[in-house]
Parts: sequence; C-alpha cells; structure tokens
Amino acid sequence: MRITMVKKILADGSPCRKCAEVETRLRDSGHLNRIDSIVIADERDPDSEGQKLARRHGVELAPFFIVEQDDGSTRVYTIFLRFLREVLQGEANASDEVQEIMERGPNLDFL
Amino acid sequence: MSVTMFDVASRAAEYDARAPQDILRLALESFETVGISFSGAEDVVLIDMALKIRPDIRVFSLDTGRLHVETYRFLEQVRKHYHIDIDVLSPDAAGVEKMVRAKGLFSFYQEGHKECCGVRKVLPLRRKLATLDAWVTGQRKDQSPGTRANVPVVEEDRAFSAAGRTLFKFNPLANWSSKQVWHYIRSNDVPSNELHQRGFISIGCEPCTRPVLPNQHEREGRWWWEEETMKECGLHAGNPAVPGKT
Repeated sequence: MRITMVKKILADGSPCRKCAEVETRLRDSGHLNRIDSIVIADERDPDSEGQKLARRHGVELAPFFIVEQDDGSTRVYTIFLRFLREVLQGEANASDEVQEIMERGPNLDFL
Repeated sequence: MSVTMFDVASRAAEYDARAPQDILRLALESFETVGISFSGAEDVVLIDMALKIRPDIRVFSLDTGRLHVETYRFLEQVRKHYHIDIDVLSPDAAGVEKMVRAKGLFSFYQEGHKECCGVRKVLPLRRKLATLDAWVTGQRKDQSPGTRANVPVVEEDRAFSAAGRTLFKFNPLANWSSKQVWHYIRSNDVPSNELHQRGFISIGCEPCTRPVLPNQHEREGRWWWEEETMKECGLHAGNPAVPGKT
C-alpha cells in the first residue's frame, strides 16, 4: 500500500489551515510516518503536482489522500477522519466524522 | 451492472445534458439497491419519475423530529398517492437526548445548525447509505449557485463510501431550474407540500425554515441568522478546522 497526502498552498502563499491541522494531528498520533509522500497543490500553480492529482481524481478540497493498493486499485479519501479510521486504523468517533462530512460536503444539511 | 464496471467520470460527462429521467434510469438500471432521498419538498418529482421506470423503488426520508406538521402530512400523502413504502428514518434517541440535555432544544440559534443537523439528519443518513449501492438526491445547481454550481449528475460519494464499498450519488435534477421542476409538478399532477403555497421554497426543519419574499433566493429561508458562509462551506472557503481537534 502506498499513501499520498495532497495538501494545499493558498493563493497568498500561506499553507491551508486544515491541511496544517491534519498534518499536525497525524504527527501527534504517530501516523505521519505511514504517509509515503506529501505533495503540494499550489493555488498559484495549476501545474503543481498536487493540482494535477486533484484534477485527475476530481477532488476540489484539500487535504486529500490517495491510497494505492498492491493490487493496483486506488481509493481517494477526502474525509480525513474516515481515512484515519479505515486506512490507519486510528480512532475517530462517528459524531466527529459526521461533522467533518458536513463541513466538507456542504449540501447535506439541505436534504 | 457490476459496480466495479461503473465508470463514473465518463457517465457524468455523457449524462450531463440528458434529461432527469435518463439519469434516473441509469441509476435504477445500473444498481440493485438504489435509495431515493425524499425531503418532503420539490424532490417529490423524483418519485414520480422513478416510478415510471421501476415500480419497486426504495424511498427514504429523514425525520429529524422537528419537521413541520405539513411536511409529515405530505409524506403520508405521497405514500398513499403512489402506493409506496417510505422508509422514514429517525435519529438515534440517545444522541438527541444527550444534545438536548446539554444544550437545550434551540442550540442552533446560538451555535449554528451543524451539530443539530449532524445528530438529527446526517448520522441517520449515514446509517441508511451503508445499506445502498447508490442514492438519488434532488440537489440542483440553482439552489445555491455559490456552492452547488458544480453539482454533477452522478458522482462517487466519497463521504459515505466505506472500505471495499463504493457508493454512488445521482443528482438527476442538477441541471434543472426551479421553474422546470414546478412545470413538471403541474404538468403531471404531482402532489406538493402545502407549505409551498405559503411562500416556503426550501423546506427543512420547522425552527430553521421560513418563507421568503418575492425575489429572495430560496436559501434565505434557511438558517437566516447565520452568516452566509456558515450555511454552506464553499469549496475553497476556509478549509474548516478538523472536528475533534482543539
């Protein structure tokens, strides 16, 4: 299994807040070494590697994680807590995960 | 069709300009377990359309416990009109009790609606979606141009997929306008929620929904006390903090 984390640099050159928080959380929980590579999606550079990956996988939010399995299959995670729970076997409670889903999926509360 | 054979990107492009009925047919013929999400509002057109394609459709509604009585009456009207079962989903009682005990019955007016919606709506939705291959929503681009401008007619639902199980989400009305929806309702004698006759366009929970005036956008009738940016998180707006992280 190979894990790629894509994090974003904003148009003003600053790091995206959520990306930084996620990276800190991965580091604090001892999971950061499970990430094989971290690439940058730079809002100022549409040809940055992260921007290319975002386009290829149809992702519009950062951070996101690309998990490539040994059998060649690939799964993209845009919900960090789901990634933490399913891939890293970390702890994430359902309520927190739902809050993240709502923040990342802005249409759900209108259902 | 095998789920693994469903090429979502090419289907989204192929069906983008197609009629809602074609998109519904794609969903209903491609997957065995497809659930139609029915909010008790204009999305009733999906039920009318789907029944003309496949009589054994699965319809579910999220009963938050705070809906208007008119919406409950409408759910019942639709059930009888179409002779269908509607799977009415309730929130977890312990979760609601815990939230209400700690914060009262109207915490959303002070703290925003996300926590309440999470407990009453999204957790039950998550439970339901775990049983489906695909689901259908009435989301339209014109409902909130700021954040729904990119609603595709079909997408992989990355929020609710699970390990080893990909969930697909169909939005057959994505490219329709409200005017087109109402033309369909009137042309096909589709029943509608009586709240629409009283100025309600977007209908949700009773404390969080109000009628709008002419020329007001329908979203102005929902969570009007919150900042616009709190209602829907823009695709590049803010990248909110990680839940559970202080």
